[in-house]
Amino acid sequence: MSHFPYLSTITFIPLVGALVLLAMNRRNVGLIRGWTLAVAAVNFVISLALWARFDPAVGGMQFMERKAWIASLGIQYFVGIDGISLWLVLLTTFLTVICVVSSWGVEKQVKEYMLFFLVLETGMLGALISLDLVLFYVFWEAMLIPMYFLIGVWGGTDRIYAAVKFFIYTMVGSLLMLVAILVLYFLNIKAGNAPTFDLLQLYQLPIAPNVQFWMFAAFCLAFAIKVPMWPLHTWLPDAHTQAPTAGSVILAGVLLKMGTYGFLRFAMPLFPNAAQAWAPFMMTIAVVGIIYGALVAMVQTDVKKLVAYSSVSHLGYVMLGLFALNAQGVAGGIYQSLNHGISTGALFLLVGVIYERRHTREIAEFGGLAKQMPAYATVFLIITMSSIGLPGLNGFVGEFLIMLGTFLTSKTAAVFAASGVILAAGYMLWMVKRVFFGPLDNEKNQNLADLNRLEWGYLLPMVFLAFWMGLYPGTFLRKMDATVELWLSRFEAKREACLELDRPDAAVAFRVETENQ
Amino acid sequence: MLQNYIPILILFLLAAGFGLGVVVISMFLGPRRPDPSKLSTYECGMEVEPGARQRFDVKYYLVFMAFLVFDVEVVFMYPWAVRFQKLGLFGFVEMLIFLLILLVGYVYIWRKGVLEWE
Amino acid sequence: MNFQMADLQLLAPHIVVLATALLVLLAEAFCKGERKGYLAYLGIAGIVVAALLTPRLFGPQRLGFSGMLAGDGFAAFFYFILYAVGILTLLVSQNYLRDERFEHGEYYALVLLALVGMMLMAGATHLMVVFLALETMSIAIYALAGYFRTERSVEASLKYFILGGFASGFLLYGIALIYGACGTTQIYDVMAYFKALPALTSSPMALAGIGLLTVGFGFKVAAVPFHAWTPDVYQGAPTSVTAFMATGVKAAAFSAFLRVFVVAFQGTHVEWSGVLWVLALLTMTLGNLTAIAQTDVKRMLAYSSIAHAGYLLVGLVVGTPEASSAMMVYLLAYAFMNIGAFACVIMVGRYGQENTSLDAYAGIGFRFPALGLAMAVFMFSMAGIPPTAGFIGKFLIFKAAVHEGYYWLTILGVLNSAASVYYYLRVIITMYFKPSPDEPAVDGLRVGPSAALATVLAGVGVLYLGIIPGGIIKLAEQAVRFMG
Repeated sequence: MSHFPYLSTITFIPLVGALVLLAMNRRNVGLIRGWTLAVAAVNFVISLALWARFDPAVGGMQFMERKAWIASLGIQYFVGIDGISLWLVLLTTFLTVICVVSSWGVEKQVKEYMLFFLVLETGMLGALISLDLVLFYVFWEAMLIPMYFLIGVWGGTDRIYAAVKFFIYTMVGSLLMLVAILVLYFLNIKAGNAPTFDLLQLYQLPIAPNVQFWMFAAFCLAFAIKVPMWPLHTWLPDAHTQAPTAGSVILAGVLLKMGTYGFLRFAMPLFPNAAQAWAPFMMTIAVVGIIYGALVAMVQTDVKKLVAYSSVSHLGYVMLGLFALNAQGVAGGIYQSLNHGISTGALFLLVGVIYERRHTREIAEFGGLAKQMPAYATVFLIITMSSIGLPGLNGFVGEFLIMLGTFLTSKTAAVFAASGVILAAGYMLWMVKRVFFGPLDNEKNQNLADLNRLEWGYLLPMVFLAFWMGLYPGTFLRKMDATVELWLSRFEAKREACLELDRPDAAVAFRVETENQ
Repeated sequence: MLQNYIPILILFLLAAGFGLGVVVISMFLGPRRPDPSKLSTYECGMEVEPGARQRFDVKYYLVFMAFLVFDVEVVFMYPWAVRFQKLGLFGFVEMLIFLLILLVGYVYIWRKGVLEWE
Repeated sequence: MNFQMADLQLLAPHIVVLATALLVLLAEAFCKGERKGYLAYLGIAGIVVAALLTPRLFGPQRLGFSGMLAGDGFAAFFYFILYAVGILTLLVSQNYLRDERFEHGEYYALVLLALVGMMLMAGATHLMVVFLALETMSIAIYALAGYFRTERSVEASLKYFILGGFASGFLLYGIALIYGACGTTQIYDVMAYFKALPALTSSPMALAGIGLLTVGFGFKVAAVPFHAWTPDVYQGAPTSVTAFMATGVKAAAFSAFLRVFVVAFQGTHVEWSGVLWVLALLTMTLGNLTAIAQTDVKRMLAYSSIAHAGYLLVGLVVGTPEASSAMMVYLLAYAFMNIGAFACVIMVGRYGQENTSLDAYAGIGFRFPALGLAMAVFMFSMAGIPPTAGFIGKFLIFKAAVHEGYYWLTILGVLNSAASVYYYLRVIITMYFKPSPDEPAVDGLRVGPSAALATVLAGVGVLYLGIIPGGIIKLAEQAVRFMG
C-alpha cells in the first residue's frame, strides 16, 4: 500500500485546475486551452505512475485511502482500485487529454467548455475509485452535470432535447438505485453490523435471494440505462449525435463504461444470486441489443448516428460477457469496454474531423474521399477494422474472449451474438465503402484538406493503442487476471452462502471465510 | 350535570321572550297613522342624501384601528387588576412590559401623524 | 404562575429580536430621510445578538413559563434555521426595496416580528402558545404580502389573510377538541395522557382534534389539498417576502407540526400517519406536476415549494427521531437554496418590471456568469443532485423512510424527485442553452452589495451542506435526542 494518495490526487487535480480556470480572463483563449491541456496531461502522467506501481498479483483493492466523511451515518471517503478499475481510470485520464486536444477548434465559450471537461474528469474518476456507496452515488450523479452542459451548450440543433433526455433517463434509474442502497444499508444494520456504506464490508453481507431479486432490479435499472441496454438505449443516439465531438468521445469512452463497471463492481457481487437468476434474461436482451443495434446502424444515413447505434451493439457484447459469469466472459467484457473506448472514441473523433470540414455527416454527401484524403481514409479504415474485430487489432481479443465465455454458458446466445459480428462488418464496411470509395462526385468534397498536424496528434495515439491492445493484450490482461479470478470466487462463495441462508450457521461461516481472504 | 344549566336556559328564554314580546305587543297596541314624512328615513325634515356609498377620509380608518387596539388593551387589564395582589411584582413588571410595547406603537402612530387631523 | 429568572434565558433570543423590531419601528418614526434601507443592518445585528444567546439552549431539555416554552436542541436548531432565513431575507430585501422605491423601516420591523412568531412556534410546548405564535407570525406576513400595494400584492395579501384566518379557525377548534379529550393543552401532558389512556386513541373527539390540527398546519406548510392559496400569494407578494414565506413560514410551521404530532400525538402515530402518507404523496405529486406546466419562474418556485413540503411530509409520516433530524437538515438546506433562488429572481428584474417569465432568462447564463452559476447551483440543489445541500436533505429523509419500511412512499418520492428535475433543468436550459435574443429583456442586473452577499452566503451554505454536512447532521441528531 502506497503512502502517497495517488487516487485522490488524480481525482482532484482536474477540479483544482477548473477552479484556477475560473479566475482566468475569458478572452485569453490560448492560456485557457494551454492550461487545461497541461492539467489533463499532468493528470495522465500521474495516472501512469498508478499503472507502474499496481501489483498484478493482488486481486483485491490497492491504493486504498479511507477517511470519515459523515461519521454519524457511517459514510466514508473510501477509495481504491483493482484490476477492473485501473484500466478504466487510465482510459479516462488518457481520453481526457485526447479530448482536450481535439477540442482545440472550439470557439464558443471556451472557458466554460474546458471548465466542464475538467469537472467531468473529476466526476468520472471519482465514480471509478469510490468504494463507499454514497461517495459513489455523489460522483455518479455529479458527473451528469458537466456532461449535461457539454451536450446542451456545445451540441447540435436538437441539443436541448438530447441533454434533457440524457439527464432524466439517468436520473430516474439512479434514484431507484439510491433507494436500494438505503435498503442495503439497513439490511446490514439489521444483521448486527455497524452502520456503513463501505462496499467491501457490504460484499460480505449475506442477503436472502428473494430480497436480492428486487435490489438487483433497482441497481440493474440504473446501470442498464447507463450502458445502455436495449430497450433503455433511446437516449444514447440522441445524446451522441447532438454532443460535440469530444463529448461523444467521453460519452462513448467512459460514461457508458460506468454502466458496465457498475454491474461488475456493485450489482453483481452484491447480489450474486439475483445476478445469476437474471443472467438468462440479461443475456437475452444483450443479444437482442447486439442484433438490434447492428440492424438499426445499417440503415442510418448519418455517420455519427451509425456509430452511436454500433455502440448499442458493442455494449451488448460487454454485457453478454459479464453475464456469462465465467473467467473468459468477464475478462472479455472488461477488455471489450476498453476496446470500445478506444475504437468508438476514435470513430467519433474521425467523424468530427469530417464534420468540421463539411458541416454535415450525411453518408450520401460523401463518396470517393479516399482519393482526396488518403491519410484520413487509412486511419478511418484501421479504426473500422478494430471496431469490427479484425484479428491483430484490439476488437478481436475482446470479442473472442466474450464469445468463448458465452459459448461455455449458452450456445444459443453465442450463435446469435456471432451473427452480430457479421452484421457489424456489414454496416461498418458498407458505410466505409460509401464514404471513401467510388467516384468523388460531390463538388464540395473536391478541395477537402487531409489530416492536419493537430488531428494526427490525437489520432495517432488511438491507432497505436488499437494495435497494441490487439497484438499484445497480455499487457492489459495480466493486470486484471488476479482481480477477475477473485471476483468470480467471491461471487460463487457469496452465492452459495446466500442460498443456504435458511441455515443460520452458514451465514456466519461465510463471513469468517471471506474475512480471512 | 346538565341540570346546572337550566337557570341559564330559563334566563335565555325569558330574555328572548321579553324582547320578542315587546315588539309583538307594540305591533298590536300602538296606533298607526302612516304618512310620507313619517315613512321617510330620519324624519327630521331634511332631504335624504341619495346613496350611502361615498368616500370616507382614510383618517377615520386609522383612528378607528388605533382605538380598537387601545380598547382591547383594557380588556387585558381587568383580569390583571383583579388578581393584582396575587401576581405580585412579576405581574406588575409584566404589565409594564406590555404597556411599554403599546407605548412604542403609540409613539409610532403619533410620529407618523395618524393623530393629526389636518 | 410560577416564574423563575432562569426562564428568561429560554426567552432571551425572542426578547432580543422583538426589542430590535421595536427599535427599528422607533427609528423609522424618529429618523429623518425617506430611505431607511440601513435599518436592515440594525435588524441583522439584532439577529446576530440573538444567535449568540442561542447556543446555551442546546443540551438537556428545560421547560419554562409553566411548561409553555422549551429550551432544547430542537428549538435551538430551528432558531438557527430561522436566523439564517431572517438574515438572508433582510439582506435580499434591502437591495430590492431600494430599487422598488419602497424603502421603509416598517418592512424590516414586520420581518422581525414575524421572526419572533416563528421562533415562538419552534419553542412552544403548549398548544395555545403554538396558536398565538402562529398568529403573530401570520399577521405580520399578511401585511408583508401586501406591502407593495399593487393590485396583485394586495390580492395576495387578502387571499392569504382570508384563507389563513379560516385555517387558524381549524387549528383553534382542533386545540379545543384536544383540550376536551385530554383536559390539557400542554404538549408533554397530552403525550402522557395518551400514554396513560390507550383507549383515547380511538376517541372520536381526540381524532377529530388531530384531524383539525392537520388541516391547520397543512395550510401553513402548503400541503395539498390545502395549498390552493400558495401560487397566487407567492406570485403576488414582493419577491423577498415570497422567499421569506417559502422558507421561514415553512420551517416554523413544520417545527410546530413536528413537536405537536411526533411528541404529543406519538401514541396515535398509527392513526395519523396513514392520512399524512396520502397527503405527502398528493403534495409531492401535485406540486411537481403543476410546476412542470409553469412558464413563470416565480410561480414555478411556488409550486416547487409545495413539492418540497411533500418531501418534508414524508419525514413527518415516518415520525422517528431520525426523520425529525432529517427534516431539520432539509429545512436548513431549503432555506439556503430557496432564498438564493429568489435572490437571483430579484436580480433579474428591474424597477417596475419583474421579468419573472422564463423567456426573460434566455441566454443570461453566459451574459452574467456569476448569476448564472449561482442560479444553476440553486436549481441543482432543489432538484436534489449532489454535491449540494438539496441532495443531502433528500437523502436523509428517504433514509429515514426506508429505515421504517416505507418503501413505496420512498420510491414514489424519488420518482417525484426525478420528475422535478425537468422543470429545474428548464431554468438552466433557458439560461445557458437558449441564445440571447437580440433585444434581451434583461439588460442589466440589480445587484447591490447586500443582495450579492446574500446570494454568496446562500451558495456557500448550499455547497457546505452538500460537501461537508457531517457536523450539521450530527448537531441535528443531537438536537432531537432531548425532544421527548
